[in-house]
Amino acid sequence: MAEKRINLVVEGYPDAQAATKILRYLNFSTETVFNRRGKSRIDEKLAGFNSAARSTGAYWFVLRDMDTDADCAPDLRAKLLPAPAASMCFRVVVRAIESWLLADRETMAAFLAVALAKITGWPEALPNPKQYLIALARTSRRKEICEGMVPREGSGAKEGPEYASLLGQFVDQNWRPEIAAKNSDSLSRCLRSLRAWK
Amino acid sequence: MRINRLRLDNWRNFRAVDAPLQKRVFLVGPNASGKSNFLDSLRFLQDLAIDGGGLREAVNRRRGVAKIRCLAARRPPDVAIKAEIVDDSEKSAVWTYHVVFNQDNNSRPIVKQEFVARGGETLLQRPDKDDRADPERLTQTHLEQVNANKEFRPIVELFRSIRYLHIVPQLVRDPGRYVAKDKDPFGGDFLEQVVRTTPKTASARFRAIAAVLQAAVPQLKEVKIERDETTGEPHLMGRFENWRPGAGWQREDQFSDGTLRMIGLLWAVFEGSGPLLLEEPELSLHAGVIRHLPQMFAKVARKKGRQIIISTHSPELLSDPGIAPDEVLMLQPDAEGTRVGTAANDAEIVALLEGGLSIADVVIPKTAPPNAEQLAFSFESD
Repeated sequence: MAEKRINLVVEGYPDAQAATKILRYLNFSTETVFNRRGKSRIDEKLAGFNSAARSTGAYWFVLRDMDTDADCAPDLRAKLLPAPAASMCFRVVVRAIESWLLADRETMAAFLAVALAKITGWPEALPNPKQYLIALARTSRRKEICEGMVPREGSGAKEGPEYASLLGQFVDQNWRPEIAAKNSDSLSRCLRSLRAWK
Repeated sequence: MRINRLRLDNWRNFRAVDAPLQKRVFLVGPNASGKSNFLDSLRFLQDLAIDGGGLREAVNRRRGVAKIRCLAARRPPDVAIKAEIVDDSEKSAVWTYHVVFNQDNNSRPIVKQEFVARGGETLLQRPDKDDRADPERLTQTHLEQVNANKEFRPIVELFRSIRYLHIVPQLVRDPGRYVAKDKDPFGGDFLEQVVRTTPKTASARFRAIAAVLQAAVPQLKEVKIERDETTGEPHLMGRFENWRPGAGWQREDQFSDGTLRMIGLLWAVFEGSGPLLLEEPELSLHAGVIRHLPQMFAKVARKKGRQIIISTHSPELLSDPGIAPDEVLMLQPDAEGTRVGTAANDAEIVALLEGGLSIADVVIPKTAPPNAEQLAFSFESD
């Protein structure tokens, strides 16, 4: 049977890379990537993606960060999309995509060039995983990581000028969803839910 | 080395601006606000410093001091450019180059002042006693004088290395439309420039370009330059993946606008290490490609130590969350000439960005012409 092609809806570039990698790991392939640039722009059209899934039967995988919008992922999922279509997989990341990436501690430590011991084994407990990751990058031994991922002091930016592309490259080349899932409950549930389509 | 700060007095749209420049700069403003004129001040410094350039040539290319001078100029009506230059790689002193010029009674451009300093040390201060003894000397700057600029050669080299690019695909396809001029930034002699590069460098660069181009034009597998055997004209050849094997080589006249622009852009990026001035690099490109340009520019700036100054109208380009507000220069026209300021200096913008909006969300509305909707209204009375 031909591999299933799945439409992706994500908030940003690193998220798109992570979702694509997950699909690849599960032997699915990516059809169209809808990079919505921000969760609010996912939320406002979520019903539209869902009704497309319902009417055409095509597969949709929507990934949205929980951030601090709720205390637990199921609540937020139920609130944003009370009646998901059968071919709609809407998953909430606890609390942001960086948690899932940090959950593969070994490859992340190698990529950031920081000691493994510095990386938490419980990334879902981080209130702001992106800030945590940038703080780690600041202590990196690689100049490329410091300059690319950390915002220049006084620049007013929240991330470095190459944050998304460097992180995207890491996801594509190094990140292992199956290993990361051991440290992240929300990722593990996401994989389980996608496997149901096999 | 890069230009850290630029001050312009009476330069075209700008009566008096003082702008800090980061390694990567985005110029944003409505049409005719002076984005190209801002870039032109840097090209003017380049024209002063290059072989065959100099004050007279630089002014002539712009059709005289009167065309350069800001319409809102007040007394004294001198035109001035002041550049502050730093070297990010070392904690060296800051260089300053300041030139003030006007014209004499015969409309000849004349240096009124020229000043160079390194750290607190003045290396050149004109007019000096030689100038007073022989005022004819003031028709030239010392940037163009090899004998006179030994002390500040690094900044002469920096100005020389400035590159400006605004590829017009039609001119690349049909260079005959343009009167051949050396180093035409619009692409009229783009292929000639490419052909003049040593074959080894050119083919290495094309391999690098083709690799990057894969991301934007996946069907394009290979790029090379070839001279037509009968006419001797250089042609850009691209091998496209095709259902017919062997039928994939095409000439530049078959390339799409976007492909040609992308090749020109990448060629410029790989060529040289001096400041690169790009005029609306988003033109003809797909939104999904434009989104990734800012990070590509950041990578080039970091790896090659190259400063990149980009004019843009693209919300797509400005929505990259890695763009810092101090990298964005906003140009706002005013009766007294265009004002220039960084987005970081606007408390409201900073507050909005803090609240989660992107640079594009904020800066595009802030620089939009106030009555643009009249475009649609103006046909109603007919």
